[in-house]
Amino acid sequence: MDEQDRVVNFTVNGAPTSLRVRRAWTLLYVIRDVLGLTGTKYGCGAGDCGACKVLVDGKPRNSCVLPAYNVEACEITTIEGLQKSGELSILQRSFVEAGAIQCGFCSPGMIITGTALLATNPEPTEGEIREAFSNNLCRCTGYVKTVEAIQMAAARMAPLTGDSRHPHAKGSQGSGDA
Amino acid sequence: MPEARKSARGSAKAFESQVSERGFDWVGKRLPNREAEMKAAGEIQYVDDLRMNGMLHAKLLLSPHAHARIKKIDTSKAEALPGVRALAHVFNTPRIAYNSAARFYLDASDFDMPKTEYIFDDTVRFVGDRVAAVAADDPFIAAAAVKLIEVEYELLPAAITLESALQGSSPQANPHGIDGTNLCGGRLAYGNANEEEVLTAIGSAARVFTDTFHTPRVHHGYIEPVCHIASYTRDGKLIVWTSSQNVFCFRDVLSTALNIPQSRIRVIKTVCGGAFGGKLEVMHEPVAAVLSMRTFKPVKLRLDRRETFSSTRCRHEGILTIKSGVSSDGTLIAQHVSSSLNTGAYAGSGPNTVGAQSGKMFILYRAEKMFYSGASYYTNTPSAGAMRGYGCPQITATRETHTDRIARELGMDPVEFRLRNVVRPHEKNCMGNDMHSALVAECILKGSREFAWKKRRLAAEKTREGKSRLGVGMDIAVHGNGWYPVYQDLTTVTIRLNNDGSATMLTGTHDLGNGSRTVLAQIAAEILTIPPKDIEVVEADTDVTPLDLGAQASRTTFIGGNATILAAKDLRDQLIEEASRALAAPADRLELESGWVIDREDPGRRCSFVDIIGAAQAGKRGDQRELASTKTFESKDAVDSYAAVFCEVEVNSETGAIKPLSIMSVHNSGKVINPLLFEGQVHGGIHMGLGYALSEEMRIDPETGKVTNPNLKAYRMLKAVDMPDIRVLTVEDPESAGPFGAKSIGECATDGVAGAVVNAVSHALGGAILDRIPLTAEYILSKLRR
Repeated sequence: MDEQDRVVNFTVNGAPTSLRVRRAWTLLYVIRDVLGLTGTKYGCGAGDCGACKVLVDGKPRNSCVLPAYNVEACEITTIEGLQKSGELSILQRSFVEAGAIQCGFCSPGMIITGTALLATNPEPTEGEIREAFSNNLCRCTGYVKTVEAIQMAAARMAPLTGDSRHPHAKGSQGSGDA
Repeated sequence: MPEARKSARGSAKAFESQVSERGFDWVGKRLPNREAEMKAAGEIQYVDDLRMNGMLHAKLLLSPHAHARIKKIDTSKAEALPGVRALAHVFNTPRIAYNSAARFYLDASDFDMPKTEYIFDDTVRFVGDRVAAVAADDPFIAAAAVKLIEVEYELLPAAITLESALQGSSPQANPHGIDGTNLCGGRLAYGNANEEEVLTAIGSAARVFTDTFHTPRVHHGYIEPVCHIASYTRDGKLIVWTSSQNVFCFRDVLSTALNIPQSRIRVIKTVCGGAFGGKLEVMHEPVAAVLSMRTFKPVKLRLDRRETFSSTRCRHEGILTIKSGVSSDGTLIAQHVSSSLNTGAYAGSGPNTVGAQSGKMFILYRAEKMFYSGASYYTNTPSAGAMRGYGCPQITATRETHTDRIARELGMDPVEFRLRNVVRPHEKNCMGNDMHSALVAECILKGSREFAWKKRRLAAEKTREGKSRLGVGMDIAVHGNGWYPVYQDLTTVTIRLNNDGSATMLTGTHDLGNGSRTVLAQIAAEILTIPPKDIEVVEADTDVTPLDLGAQASRTTFIGGNATILAAKDLRDQLIEEASRALAAPADRLELESGWVIDREDPGRRCSFVDIIGAAQAGKRGDQRELASTKTFESKDAVDSYAAVFCEVEVNSETGAIKPLSIMSVHNSGKVINPLLFEGQVHGGIHMGLGYALSEEMRIDPETGKVTNPNLKAYRMLKAVDMPDIRVLTVEDPESAGPFGAKSIGECATDGVAGAVVNAVSHALGGAILDRIPLTAEYILSKLRR
């Protein structure tokens, strides 16, 4: 083992993972090039655009500037980890239906940020949504339909309470009394 | 046009009218982009997501100098690094001139398509120009290896700024400059009268106005960095996967630069993570190809963001002077525009962008006499190229701010002045061309009503003294639909009926994420009565799809849609012909309905597509045949799309900061095929135009030629919190030449935004003359201090 290598243990989308990583490797490199999860994108390599965002212990982080060394014991969720049994999450579906996806290159990062936002703030104001995207750049949509997608998802999740308030519950079909 | 084609087109148009009278099933529907679910899931694969066995990773060595001759390259240390597999530079690579923006294989004109580029040259002409490239086992080794390449340069005098390059005494940035100057190609100058006459007419008008406006170099800011994979195999075949807007031209250029027959080159467009013109021109594909040819392994070359700023393409910086002669009642008599664009180190699309800009001169306003004169100039800075609008945002910002000034000085409302002077539908413009459905006046009227123009303008004028000053402005813009009448414009579409009655369409159309595949499927679905989800649309692959001229000139829906109609209608006719024999019913009584051919007068008599297709293949009533159609559409109509943009801003008089509050864009784009995708185009166009007006600029150090803000933090694209309230409206009068009445939107969505913003800011500042963008806080403060 190279002196600079280190074994790091973490979970990715629930799967326990143990990897020997090099000092130069970012979490993005590990996710894309070692684990082959290419849904997370390289956009700038400097933490400016948000295309590489993943959830690290529930918080959206730019994986392109996060050294792989530093994720020991972390729970990492990538865009691939948001679907369940093949079903897209309510937010993913809202992005599709609202027309928030054009070229789609920023979308995984946008959806990761939105997922984290709705987990902590289920009824965000428009201002809070825009603020949440302060580290996500999009060149196609002017953010109009991105904001609508978050609002659509929040509305679909609103009738759900307690355990049924899950990102994969069936949206507005859920009952507030469930 | 040959008679057969003319009549095919005529019958297609008559048929379109029948379909639209019947009522649309799919045209006009808000269908999400058909790739959206894959994208939301993170499952779709862009070029950087492709993995191939044995794939190598390439890195470029880029010039640190604005202008220098390469005397010597020593690669011995780099070659000694374990894992390095190939190196390429000027001394070991074929040096064949090409133009990366070539449109047609036969393009050879030194006037508008000079061949000034090489895979590697013995001279570097901007900071970021290619010096060498390495392919290695992983990207870390490749990055380490380029640092070990030792290059000896002889520095040459450089022309960095456009202003200096225009001077006769300037060093030559590129030896192709005409007569020792930096003029690229040639100067384009034309009008409906000669230049002297036009200038005389201006000078003898009651009022004469002259303004000069400076527009910045900006970057497309696509989030997907430039990336290519090239794979050359021992049988002599080169396959290139690239996020391209123009695969057939890429094949032309690769074939020229590498001297390989086109049959041995396959260019495949990958899922595109944003382009906006920035992926229209050949970038570093030839380098990846050379490295693969030396190793027989696939080679991936992905730029980082810094390289994406310095070593791709950007919008032409412009300095434009406009003169107008106006009568005292506010009628535009004559107008003259003189334009200088900065094409950077290589010709690329410089002269062609000037040409596209010139065309916009004559199709927005009426005037008795108009003249345009423009040229592009070499500088030792990153190459400019195609970008959404292609010369139009520069002239629009110039002319529309000038127009506002004229209205202001005449004491006229800017809306009234424009209404008095814009072109009208079906009239002849000053060049004698039919203006088709040019409903720009209706856009202005609708917008001024919906925006509450007068009321908001008056309210804003009451805020002239405070810290926070409101301004309300507007402007108008125009864009074409393809290349006609300047160049040929054609595309071919093939549609095949599959055995189960679904369809597969092959098209050279490039979907850049805007939803072109979705739109073409809607158009085909309308005719074939097959749901769009059951129509596969295979796009842009030079070995698979028919020829197309690329995603440019706002041509995709107009040209591709018309070709789709021709092929789909032909298939429909084939289905009906077969069914007519099977049902023993006259063809003119038969119609398609949800996968069946039915007898309109006896709907119980029907035949399913599946049975018709099977019977045709079995030759039951004639020759054995596949039901398929391949049709070429050639454009013969110069049709334009129009927009009126209204905007309100707030200017902080203490800091100079500008906050856009609301923006409304009213579009005359004919019949909208998919409103959801259409709105998306306008929203994105507004974002790009706002950045152009307010914050974006690739800043170049005037001494060194370096881009000083080559990252997405310092290159300030607007964020979600910076965006105003946005409304999109349409004046949806169908254009008879368009597919089901549609006209373009892609570029028209951005052309008029900056001018409207500048006019609103000028209004907030009490009519200050603003002569450049972006409107930085420092610039606004300098105007406030006056």
